[in-house]
Amino acid sequence: MAAMEIHFTLNGQPVTVQAEPDEMLLEVLRRELGLRSVRETCGLGICGACTALLNGQPISTCILLAPLAEGCEITTVEGLGGRHPVQRAFEEVQAFQCGYCTPGMILTIKALLEEQPEPDEETIRRALGGNLCRCGCYLKIIQAAQRAAALLAEERRRQPQPGPASIS
Amino acid sequence: MARPIPAWLAPTSLEEALELRARYGEEAIVVAGGTFVGILINQGLLQPAALLALRRVRELAYLRVEDASAAGRPLLRIGAMTTHRALERSPLVQRGWPVLASTFALVASPRVRNQATVGGVLADADYASDPPALLHALGASVVARSPQGQRLIPVEELIVGHYETSLRPDELLTEIQVPGGLEGAVYRKFRSRSSEDRPCVAVAAVRREGRLRVAVGAVAERPQYFPEICALAAGQPTIEPELAREIGERYAAAIDPLSDARGSAHYRRRVIAVEVRRALEDLNRIIAARGGSQSHA
Repeated sequence: MAAMEIHFTLNGQPVTVQAEPDEMLLEVLRRELGLRSVRETCGLGICGACTALLNGQPISTCILLAPLAEGCEITTVEGLGGRHPVQRAFEEVQAFQCGYCTPGMILTIKALLEEQPEPDEETIRRALGGNLCRCGCYLKIIQAAQRAAALLAEERRRQPQPGPASIS
Repeated sequence: MARPIPAWLAPTSLEEALELRARYGEEAIVVAGGTFVGILINQGLLQPAALLALRRVRELAYLRVEDASAAGRPLLRIGAMTTHRALERSPLVQRGWPVLASTFALVASPRVRNQATVGGVLADADYASDPPALLHALGASVVARSPQGQRLIPVEELIVGHYETSLRPDELLTEIQVPGGLEGAVYRKFRSRSSEDRPCVAVAAVRREGRLRVAVGAVAERPQYFPEICALAAGQPTIEPELAREIGERYAAAIDPLSDARGSAHYRRRVIAVEVRRALEDLNRIIAARGGSQSHA
């Protein structure tokens, strides 16, 4: 059996890619779509460097068989446009050194804040429990999450939302 | 020789899935959330001829409560494709089986819990996973279906060894059933390394209708349960500190623990005695406070 076609939405755009059924989504995002924000490190779903959002929820693309993405909405940090409040918060607080883990951290915090706009520190720590930072910037990253929550709250005040926050 | 490329089988109904399972048998690896299969493929430990993915079988993702089952107590029915995260966040589960919600919330990271399923973690029969010991102690069963029919398998008979279950090659695990009527339930996860790690020693303790059931996970190839030791607590309105200590020490003596990166056999034996005692102390507090449950990290 040869490679198969997989269809999904990537950062709002429909895409069709070729992949083998036992390939992981990470490999396909990098090879077929040229994305570099998803990175392989542990290959075990532990470190969080390959994080993407699947239908708004964080997953490990290194252990997601690519065909399981069929029909799903995949979001990577490239899709946030660079000025998303969580990205701005990371910049302001300077919540990184080498930046390798940063896309995974940003996406995880984005998903958390959509569900819980005002998380306490314990909730932030729990949500980030599976994202490792080899530089050890954890305190800054937690500050960035808190700053992002404040920026998002400000945005909501300026433009009242029609209903509950939608996913992605 | 070129690497063999597996066939991708993606049925959209249970009927079709059962047909494919019966046709391919052990040739096809069943994929639920796919986290475990993904790791095995990455490590070169698995080269399946076919992958049978259940993701599109929508009828296998549900949570339902039957108010009174045959045994006269409520029964929680969990579709095998329900994710850890769906279980953890279900108000139905949080209300009726809070220990299930809080224990599934302790598994790995939110990413893994978004992917991993309740049926998958049981069918993997991985000794170091959190849910098996708890489901064992809760007296849970699974429904195994084949084109010929279905049977109910208690979790203690489902997991028979390291990554080994009593499921037949033509059967799919389709549902998990967890009876209610709990007086108290506790899950304690002892980690020797980092917060998102798997347990070094896991203790689940449940009391229902005056009967105690303690299952210890992550210490041997399958959850460890000793009815004769648990019977020491039979008919006791509370579990006094002396009895909690005795049960802990007896469990430690009865289990032949394994050694791995999370702890040696010697270390585990000492932790078992302490964690079983603590679980029973927790349970006693809960029973004294008239019902409820908790999980400890």
